[in-house]
Amino acid sequence: MGADTPDPSEPALERLFYRSERVRFVHWEEFSGANAAVWLTEFVAILSFVTGLSNLSQPDPAFDGPLAGALPAEPVFLQFTGVLLAFVLMLLVFGLRRRKRIAWYLTLAVLPLATVLPLTTLRPMDVPLLLAILLTLPLLLVNRSAFDRRLELSSLQIAALSSIIGVGLYGTVGSYALRDQFGGLETWSDSVYYVIVTVATVGYGDITPLTTEAKWFSLSVIVFGTGAFTVAIGALIVPAIEKRIATAFGTMTPTELTLLEDHVLVLGHDDITEPLLDELGTEVDVVVVASDGDDTGEFDDRNVTVVTGDPTLAETLDEARIDEAAGVVVATRDDATDVLTVLAAREANRAVRIVAAANDREHVDKLEAVGADEVISPMEIGGRFLGRSVLDRTSADSLFDDADGDTE
Amino acid sequence: MGLQGVGPVERVLRTLLGPLCLLSGAVVAAGFFFPDPVVEAVSGPTWLLLSLVFFGSGLAYLAVLPAESDEDAGAFDPDSLLRVRRLGLADTLEKFLSRQDPIAFGIPVVAFVLFFFGQLLVPAETIRAVDAAQRTVTIYGGWLFAAVMTISVLISLYLLVGPWGTVKLGGPDAEPAYTYPVYFAMFFTAGIAAGIVLWGPAEALFHYETPPPYFGVEPQSEAAAGAALTYTLFHWGISAWSAYVAVGVPIAYYVYQQGAPLRVSTILAPFLGVEHLDSIWCRLVDLLAVFATIGGIATSIALVGDQFLAGIEFQWGVASDTVGSVLFVTGLTFVFVVSAQSGVHRGIRRIAAVTLVLFGLFAALFVAVAPRTAVLEYSSQAVGNSAVHAIPMSIYLGNGPIASAWVADWTIWNWAWWFSWAPFAGLFLAALSRGRRIRTVVLTGVIAPSLATMAWFLLLGSSSLHLQQTGVVDVLGAIDAAGGSEAVAGFPVLESLAIGQFLVFGFLALIVVFMASSADTSTLAVAVLATKREFAPTTGAIVFWGIVQGLVAVSVLVTDSAEVLQATAVLTGAPFALLVLISLVGLVAAFRRHERGRQSIVGAAWAKLGGDTEDEGG
Repeated sequence: MGADTPDPSEPALERLFYRSERVRFVHWEEFSGANAAVWLTEFVAILSFVTGLSNLSQPDPAFDGPLAGALPAEPVFLQFTGVLLAFVLMLLVFGLRRRKRIAWYLTLAVLPLATVLPLTTLRPMDVPLLLAILLTLPLLLVNRSAFDRRLELSSLQIAALSSIIGVGLYGTVGSYALRDQFGGLETWSDSVYYVIVTVATVGYGDITPLTTEAKWFSLSVIVFGTGAFTVAIGALIVPAIEKRIATAFGTMTPTELTLLEDHVLVLGHDDITEPLLDELGTEVDVVVVASDGDDTGEFDDRNVTVVTGDPTLAETLDEARIDEAAGVVVATRDDATDVLTVLAAREANRAVRIVAAANDREHVDKLEAVGADEVISPMEIGGRFLGRSVLDRTSADSLFDDADGDTE
Repeated sequence: MGLQGVGPVERVLRTLLGPLCLLSGAVVAAGFFFPDPVVEAVSGPTWLLLSLVFFGSGLAYLAVLPAESDEDAGAFDPDSLLRVRRLGLADTLEKFLSRQDPIAFGIPVVAFVLFFFGQLLVPAETIRAVDAAQRTVTIYGGWLFAAVMTISVLISLYLLVGPWGTVKLGGPDAEPAYTYPVYFAMFFTAGIAAGIVLWGPAEALFHYETPPPYFGVEPQSEAAAGAALTYTLFHWGISAWSAYVAVGVPIAYYVYQQGAPLRVSTILAPFLGVEHLDSIWCRLVDLLAVFATIGGIATSIALVGDQFLAGIEFQWGVASDTVGSVLFVTGLTFVFVVSAQSGVHRGIRRIAAVTLVLFGLFAALFVAVAPRTAVLEYSSQAVGNSAVHAIPMSIYLGNGPIASAWVADWTIWNWAWWFSWAPFAGLFLAALSRGRRIRTVVLTGVIAPSLATMAWFLLLGSSSLHLQQTGVVDVLGAIDAAGGSEAVAGFPVLESLAIGQFLVFGFLALIVVFMASSADTSTLAVAVLATKREFAPTTGAIVFWGIVQGLVAVSVLVTDSAEVLQATAVLTGAPFALLVLISLVGLVAAFRRHERGRQSIVGAAWAKLGGDTEDEGG
């Protein structure tokens, strides 16, 4: 049934209206995965940016949405939130792409905030944003389990972050306490402004220390703050740039592997790997796990990801994201390794479909016993095709079509 | 080729349409979000063109996206090399013609050409003759339409609760090939065109201004509002949709239970026998179905083109002429031809889904901003009234057996229009129904869609009535100012609500998708009917009939004969009313012969309650 060959004798009705598979309204799984949720969040971020700009650009803003009454006093500041939250969301999308749990929590908090502006103004331009947020929230909630990675920071990054927070707090509280000794510093906002302007080495000079005490305080903020700021940039941003450069040169970083979903894992490298990759085509993401010794140069011009490591080890399989894989093909050169690999793969993912190639047809049942869903012996299939081809005088390709029909 | 896989033409289309949609979409989005700086830079017609290009190319792109199962089929097709060698034009043409049914293919083509020559040479006479014929039929034949419609409703309801509803089409083991949502979506969007959108806010107002004589109320009074809404529900409710089921269920039954071919003429099976469905009578029925479908759809396309642009002109003052309408129709034709040739599981399914989602979204947004208490008040009253007056309204004609002017102009005209759509909508319903019980078919063909249309008309109709009555907006004044066109009614109503402008865009988009989702199905149906019964229509045939529908619509616009062709399509409704009657008689006879001993819902419930009475039944 699987082969879609139009048969002229088939009634018109069948060809037009009845195909082999069931026709569904929407293929839900395509639109409801974690990837879709991330894309949608990104879309919301862009939409929020555009809507925010559009809101800022109108000459005389009117606030007559349902939330307008509930807001205190002058909501002019609110107009800027659209664009601001868009930047925040864009940052969070980076985190979501890496499946970070904390980004998920923060996104859930920011998305409702992003509805405040549209609900206050409620112009026609705000409706797409509202609808998109309404769609994104449940999708994120449904895919909660996909965003399960902890935010893993190096000790340097933690130190940089905490020192910047520490200096920020120290500077703000301190300058507010000394506000009488500063020219132009009166409120808490002034303190925050003063500290950031100082630490970032901008130093407008509109707020200046007047007394010696205040000057010493300012110096301490400058020394520690600028230092912390510089270290933070080095620790947080440079690694990201390094990764980008590495990607540009073609090696896939572990971070990119975490983006994979519904890919096919090919464990082991053998002569049949090449035709296997041909069959898998370009439509599906393929990750090949090969041992150190294997020559993987032939994959360079193919769009496959190569993970180097021992396929019998759980760490390697985790790195290749076996938990998100749609299927696993086990085909190493050695049946004993095959057995170990099937065991490891089955251990790592109970539900995934595992197909194994048995080098020796005697080992088919053994591989099945350790957890392979389907075991194929390439030798046996090749032998049978040879036999059929010589008897029927047909080309191997047409036999191949038959085989397609049989196995479905 | 196109139907099954991903042909080279489709690949080219995809690479062209995707960027086109993105580019025009970016400009349209810029204009939407930053109206002041951007919109002033570009003229009104350009905006219109850009938005339509964006929407149309998006729909067409969606249609030519490969289906999930086609991805592997695209790799390499050895036949394509062979095909190149015999691509001579004469050969292709001969091959194409050899597959067409000479009667169902030739006569419509010739007849439509003759019609337009007549319209060009002697316009006044043609118009007068067709008009007179249509008036005679609706006034003096009104009783026939009313009677057949009433019978269709009764039989549909009987199939729903009676014993024959348990018949499973295609045998007890048949599995439905379409999940329920897509089954409903495709039938619903095929069976109703842009009329639902355009008349939604308008029809109740028309009846409010000139109340139906059945209720005998003062025009523009409180009572007239109730009567208007009740009659609107009647015109778009259960009765209307039963006409489709009356054609669809018989076809489905003979096709799946007795192996008849999938054509409209199959409704004659109980009289001629399944083996004799090749007779001249059947050919004539199919021919008539082709006429009714092309006439009905092409007129709708032309009218929708005109009304769409009339609405734009009313709303934004962007005037357009016949050239504009022709361009609009050409674009629409492109979209539905692409959709129809891509097959049921691709374009037709996806555009149906888009239509249904947009429809639901628009309705939800409308509910959020509509005057809800007034809507609830009007609606509950109208629903109650409809239930009480359903049967009297169905058989009321005005002057005994002769229809009064109002009834002929509205009710009977409407019934005739639904009957002229019945062959293709019924055929499509039958085509999708394998593996379903007849009860499910009736539920999907009558109850579900009529609930959807009635909810829509209640929502929009009562809102516009409320706004008109409270004097918030003078919709009737706007309609009069636009020369009595129903196309403009929606705009003042939507404008008066919050986020009204957004709703206006949704409203215009709905007009386009509802039209496209009917026209692609009708193209497929005509192609099936015009192809010899042993063949499936080729991609070429589907494209051909799509273009014919587009051409007829364009000629209608150029010769300004929309009203005439519409009257003609209504005229074909008369023979179809008769055919529906015949087919229902045949169906009942066939059921009585073949489907004895089944248990009705009532019977089953009774048996359950009785417990130990009978267990072997059903």
